[in-house]
Amino acid sequence: MNVIEVKDLKKQFKVKEKEKGIKGSLKSILKPKYKEINAVNNISFEIEKGEMLAFIGPNGAGKSTTIKMLTGILYPTSGEINVMGLNPSKFRKKLAYKIGTVFGQKEQLWTHLTPYDNFKFFGAIYDLKDSEIETRIEELKKTFDLDEFINTPVRNLSLGQRIRCEIVASLIHKPDILFLDEPTIGLDPVVKQNIRKLIKKMNKELGTTIFLTSHDVGDIEKLCKRVIIINHGKMILDDLVENLKYSSKKPLEDIIAEIYEDNKLEV
Amino acid sequence: MLMEVKSQIKVMFLSIKYNIMKQMTNKVTFITNILFMILNNASFILQWIILFNIKDEIGGYTFKEVILLWGMAASTFGLSHIMFYKAFHMSDLIINGKLDMFLVQPKNVLINIITSDTSVSAIGDLLYGYICLAIYGITFKNIILFSLFTITGAIVITAFVCICSSTSFWITKGEILADSLSSLVIHIATYPGGIFKDTIKVLLYTIIPVGVSSYLGVDLILAFNIKGFIYIMVFTIIITILAFLVFNKGLKKYSSSNLMSSRI
Amino acid sequence: MRKYLYIYKATLIENLQYISNIILGMISFFVTIFVFLNLWDYMYADSSELINGYNINQMVWYVLIGEILWYGTRNKTLTNEISNDIKSGNIAYNINKPYNYVFYIISKHFGEITIKFITFILIGSVIGRIFVGKIIGFSLVSIPFIMIVVLLGVFINSIIRIAISVISFWIEDSNPFHWVYDKFILIFGTIFPIEMFPKILQSAMIFSPIFVVNYGPAKLIINFTFEKFIQIFIVQIIYIVILVLLLLLLYNKGVRKLNVNGG
Repeated sequence: MNVIEVKDLKKQFKVKEKEKGIKGSLKSILKPKYKEINAVNNISFEIEKGEMLAFIGPNGAGKSTTIKMLTGILYPTSGEINVMGLNPSKFRKKLAYKIGTVFGQKEQLWTHLTPYDNFKFFGAIYDLKDSEIETRIEELKKTFDLDEFINTPVRNLSLGQRIRCEIVASLIHKPDILFLDEPTIGLDPVVKQNIRKLIKKMNKELGTTIFLTSHDVGDIEKLCKRVIIINHGKMILDDLVENLKYSSKKPLEDIIAEIYEDNKLEV
Repeated sequence: MLMEVKSQIKVMFLSIKYNIMKQMTNKVTFITNILFMILNNASFILQWIILFNIKDEIGGYTFKEVILLWGMAASTFGLSHIMFYKAFHMSDLIINGKLDMFLVQPKNVLINIITSDTSVSAIGDLLYGYICLAIYGITFKNIILFSLFTITGAIVITAFVCICSSTSFWITKGEILADSLSSLVIHIATYPGGIFKDTIKVLLYTIIPVGVSSYLGVDLILAFNIKGFIYIMVFTIIITILAFLVFNKGLKKYSSSNLMSSRI
Repeated sequence: MRKYLYIYKATLIENLQYISNIILGMISFFVTIFVFLNLWDYMYADSSELINGYNINQMVWYVLIGEILWYGTRNKTLTNEISNDIKSGNIAYNINKPYNYVFYIISKHFGEITIKFITFILIGSVIGRIFVGKIIGFSLVSIPFIMIVVLLGVFINSIIRIAISVISFWIEDSNPFHWVYDKFILIFGTIFPIEMFPKILQSAMIFSPIFVVNYGPAKLIINFTFEKFIQIFIVQIIYIVILVLLLLLLYNKGVRKLNVNGG
């Protein structure tokens, strides 16, 4: 069963252009010039239930834009999206109950509150009853070893503990799909491993489908079976990580870098 | 539907509670902010003492009535800044593409945004409003009406600012527009409506709703009439609906121009 | 000195692109002026009446000039930016840069307000002309002297602002102190001339910064005499010397405290 279906997805942005110096500044006030950029250009793919997919590409390739369209944050310029049988731009709220999101660089947690209070807040957002929230927190606490710091204000936690709480907070409503946008950014190797373990466990025990973007080859190698590479908004590869790995003797990181580079020349 | 509203309200108050808890982590700052805001407002009494030295009646109001007017302005401003502080800074979120977090939550986006922060000093404003009421004269009726019009006034101001801020979805200058217009409302609210000419008054009871958020409420406390009361209630409902409509319409534009510029 | 001039120029150019923002931002200025026009129009029964020695023309121009000085030179750089730099510890990065942070802020501030201030002066003058006519007895010869006093007034105001922001080294939030200063300047010197206050208060105010920041310059514009210019100018110089020394002292003390605490 497919939980995500994307067909001919497109997203255009209008960007203001400006020339140098005072003259350019004045000119852009009087007569602003706009350029259209295709952030996402005709991509199509499908993801099955329970899959762990790495969605990668160089900076500015259109990864975040795609995630944002899949989660209902952005409206596509054209194309079709179907997530859990819903069109995200039409049923944003309904979809929100079924998906979880973690943006590695943006915090969703209230830093002055403890993880416990935070989870209660998110529970309320997803309409869980107080008793349901309690049992859910108890479950998550056990599964993901949060005992140690569940009552420490988030601002006093280490970066790794914070990310862990971010991820757990996004699981409070038992989402079917979890979108992770660079979850391991800025973490040390040990913490990275912990987070990967957590993601793996989630996928295995809860059957959560994982949609992951990352620049860390380790994340891709250790977690995902399948990888999609996009660049300049276009899909340039959709294959099993295994196939990619054995396509050459070089390390996976070099293979991916080469694909990015090759694609650059074409454009 | 009812369940949905109930859970929305629950989240709203939880959010406000957490915001205030956050501000209270530093108790000294918390208390100085509130106290200084009361002092800050009180300094304007001087202005009116001077003005009433020249004339006994200004814009149809006596000194005590102007104090009541000031109180109403302070309490509506205060309540809106305690409950819906982010409404006054929403343009920044829109222009810089910071709405993502709210969009992935299964709740009303506008309500979640505007209740996501609070201003501590606004507690001082709200308290000051009631101090002014006490100076004017406390009766059971006054307290009920003052509180009621504080609530409707806060909603009117917030809705007005939300509409102004929502223009940021279309024009990048929306931020300045919202900023200026919200300070405009607050500024005018502290002067008696009577000093303005009739054409201006029409504006103040419609497009720039200072008349509804402050003047009319004060007039009803001075002398109640049912017509004015109904006007306030109906106006509050209409402008609230309008705010949601404009915001939701803008939200569809959220992506197009603004996001890219924020990322580069 | 050259590097501060460069900082000034660079911010000035950067701010050129915000002209449309400045004009939009004038809405609140317009409204304030509009409210005061209505207020004084209501307060003066007829145009020949004098209130504490001011006729309506002088009163409106006084308020207008006060508000131009107020709105035209407001800048978050002096309040929020300094406090944020201190609170976030960013100031530590500025300490080992080859410039003095205080002078850097001043250059930046003036770069940011130059265009704004000029726009406010131009538009403000037009508003005044339209509503109450020319300033009675104003002569073009007085302009250079007025400019000196106005600029020094703006400078003194900036120094005081920075000094208040620097309090953030000791107290987390310096905003409440800014409010107090705001209200002090606004009520005692901007929305009324000080002649409106009781005699005892008046003499006290003459010795406060109000005299050099707003009352003095505004009064000089609506009623110019050369003696008054000299008087204000001398007092301003004294203020500047004392305030700059005080500010540097405060700042260095604050920085030292930061170093002790290890940022």
